[in-house]
Amino acid sequence: MNRSVRRAAYVLIAGFFVLVLAATWTQAVAGPDYRDDPRNPRLAAWITGRERGPIVTADDVLVAVSTPAETPANLFVRSYPEGGLYAHTVGYTSVLFGSTGIEDVRASDLLSDRDSTISGVLNALLGGDPRPRGVRLTLDHDLQTIAADALGDQRGAVVALDPATGAVLAMVTSPTFDPNTLVGPGAGPTGEALVSDPAEPLRNRATDESYPPGSVFKVITSASGLDLGLVSPSSEFPDPVALELPGSSATIENFDGDVCNDGRSVTLEMAFVRSCNTVFGQLGMDVGGFDLAETAERFGFNENVPFDLPVLTSLFPPGQELATDPAATAQNAIGQRDVQTTPLLMALTAAAVANDGNVMAPYLVSDVFNSEGTVESSTQTRVWRRAMSPVTASVLGEMMEQVVSSGTGRRAAVPGVRIGGKTGTAEVTGQAPHAWFIGFGPVEPEPGERSIALAVVVESGGDFGESATGGSVAAPIAQQVLAEFFGVSLD
Amino acid sequence: MSRTTEAALLVAAALLAAVGVAITEFTRGNWLDAQVAITFIVFLVSFGGFYAAVRIWAPGASSLLLPTAAFLAAIGFVEIYRIDGDLAAIQRWSLIVAGAVGAGTLWLLRRSGVAILNRYRYVLLAIGVALLLLPLLPETWPIQGATVNGSRLWVRIEVPVLDRVLSFQPGEIAKVLITIFLASYLAERADAMATVDRRIGPLKVPEPRNLGPILVAAAIAFLILIYQRDLGASLLLFALFVTMLYMATARSFYVVTGAVLAIGGGVAAYLSFGHVARRIEAWIDPFAVYEDAGYQTVQGLFAMGSGSLTGSGIGLGRPDLIPAAATDFIFAAVAEELGLAGSIAVLAAYALFVAAGFGIALRSKDRFRKYLAGGLTAVIALQALIILAGVLRLFPITGLTLPFMSYGGSSLVANAIIVALLLRVSHEERT
Repeated sequence: MNRSVRRAAYVLIAGFFVLVLAATWTQAVAGPDYRDDPRNPRLAAWITGRERGPIVTADDVLVAVSTPAETPANLFVRSYPEGGLYAHTVGYTSVLFGSTGIEDVRASDLLSDRDSTISGVLNALLGGDPRPRGVRLTLDHDLQTIAADALGDQRGAVVALDPATGAVLAMVTSPTFDPNTLVGPGAGPTGEALVSDPAEPLRNRATDESYPPGSVFKVITSASGLDLGLVSPSSEFPDPVALELPGSSATIENFDGDVCNDGRSVTLEMAFVRSCNTVFGQLGMDVGGFDLAETAERFGFNENVPFDLPVLTSLFPPGQELATDPAATAQNAIGQRDVQTTPLLMALTAAAVANDGNVMAPYLVSDVFNSEGTVESSTQTRVWRRAMSPVTASVLGEMMEQVVSSGTGRRAAVPGVRIGGKTGTAEVTGQAPHAWFIGFGPVEPEPGERSIALAVVVESGGDFGESATGGSVAAPIAQQVLAEFFGVSLD
Repeated sequence: MSRTTEAALLVAAALLAAVGVAITEFTRGNWLDAQVAITFIVFLVSFGGFYAAVRIWAPGASSLLLPTAAFLAAIGFVEIYRIDGDLAAIQRWSLIVAGAVGAGTLWLLRRSGVAILNRYRYVLLAIGVALLLLPLLPETWPIQGATVNGSRLWVRIEVPVLDRVLSFQPGEIAKVLITIFLASYLAERADAMATVDRRIGPLKVPEPRNLGPILVAAAIAFLILIYQRDLGASLLLFALFVTMLYMATARSFYVVTGAVLAIGGGVAAYLSFGHVARRIEAWIDPFAVYEDAGYQTVQGLFAMGSGSLTGSGIGLGRPDLIPAAATDFIFAAVAEELGLAGSIAVLAAYALFVAAGFGIALRSKDRFRKYLAGGLTAVIALQALIILAGVLRLFPITGLTLPFMSYGGSSLVANAIIVALLLRVSHEERT
């Protein structure tokens, strides 16, 4: 009689053990999937409400911070005290618009480990510090501010970096937006308006937009000729009004439609300083499409740039294709036709000249520190590419110094500092030209002296419209950033 | 375990409830609140009164049941308090009433023992069936049936003097009365029903007339399903009947027949009734009908998954997102805030209660007491298993309260009677 009662008891008690297994499955095994389901309303609070560590600039200006929410007690509110100034580098974490920037790629460092998943509990049991870590950026707040002010409301970007390390010192894009508006209540309409804005304020023009480089590409064309030993700064080139292109009815003319020097001959250095298209079209054809493409790729074209943020790949036509097409080679050699690049890669190009031909891998995060402020890990600098020989870099550097001291880049000059640079005015069909300036300083620094390289692009002529040139629009912006870096007053 | 230890555990349960209330208030930014003291006192009064009755009228009773029930009630109360302070205030009164009813049950049986229940079994059955049918009363009568969430389980009584409407679920009490009847009926008929002379293939089959009761039970369960649209009560009553029949006869034939009838009835209900079909579809793939029938199940899964191992902490989860978080889905709310650790504690407490209950049944010497203890324990076990299997998606959602934990006075009172009867049976076996 008891046997059947006992059996019934076993079956019913076993039922609770089955429920223990089911609960383990639901909570521990499948739990994270349920937690992270986009339909789980907790996810939104979890995304924006979890405590995150602070993000600070190199000079310890707070640019992202979590503060405890009024209610519920376990959630936090993320805010960005500097508003739009770091919107594209620091990024944001939004329920509706995803997460971007350092907030996205460094989420695992920034997020608190204080949760109840298996790893969180184990970490707490083993005495790990569950408090979130902070991220220190390489950006310099003063430089960032000056760059943004100098760019003003013109569309474009400024990238400044340390040529010796690749540390990005300033990265500004315009127009910008206030990331605080994408986080809090009412983010929907604000965000939709930003997404559909034709000015694309959400896009980081420094890394995620490509432009024809125009004459700034002549730095690379020159590097190709110098590295191959084909030319030196004193090499003589013919000086026609227009360069005839073989197999094509098109010609290449100089910016003002005139000869470069005296109509007979011109040195490479003078053509560089005056940015004459005819000479560099010819140099491109002399180097040949195949070798020019190879040089461009050594500078980072057609390569993924390793960086904390996604970077659009800069494009240069394949060498095989150009080898049989001298006309296209000539046009690409002056930075027109097919070649497309990002401000970041052009800043790296200037940095290569300043750093003996080596391109350091650019980076935005200098270190990760724990809640006590102790640095836990710092970014190791490394050479990304060897763009040219040290000799070529040195020769090119002197040519670029001439551009700023007596050529098209005079308006980037900083009193008392040897600055090298190159202007560009990239023709775009149907709109005003993009104004470029890339540069670096000081030329030939003293040992231990800090240096800077930068790129400035102003879309569609900026405030100058059709009459804009790299020298008139972009160089003055570079000048302000350089002057700030070297502590020189421009007044 | 001594009576003193039992008392200490009951105080611990009262403290657990009070601390839970304090934590809830703390997460809202409040410091110690009068609610903490009130909760502590209510638990002491409710379970203390019950405990005192045990010491006086059933001093030989098992000391395992009351602390386990108090532990579950405390966890449940904290979650209810955390979800809705107003519900918690009512639940506190229910706890006091339930404690009083439990103590009163022991007092009523102090001389006659459970044997008196055996004698009046048909009266109890009649009351039980009447209670089951009570919700079908027209909605215009003073004592009226009411439909809540599509199921007609409720009865409202207008009390003109108090100018209030009392509502209760008579089905909760009916299940206790029906269990008493079944224990009594089977104690008398078990031998006849256990006679299985005939064979059909490998299966031993009893006399056809002995099949009567199980068919009647199946019919009643099916009627409840049709007229009250209550899948939970229907399944609970049928499963209880089959379990008790098996305990009494030890014939697996009844279990097989019961399973066949249940599956057959389930398929028939699936094909005939939209509300059953929707629940079954929501069980098979709740995410496919997320906006509709699967919503509650999915919100429960989200809550439990988000709770993970150690939970969000009391007051820091989102039980407001789960439909019926204070009643049917209270386990999901507890699992979110206390994590898997809390879930396992709750499940272990049920397993302990069920083991202790069956222990009483196994020690009982006469059949009626044995089946009564086994049946009452099975009611608690089956009710918890059916609703929890639904919440954990091992079974379709049926809509039953979780014994001792869910918000609801009828449920607490019915379960207090069950505890009191189990304690009385265990007392009688020791003396």
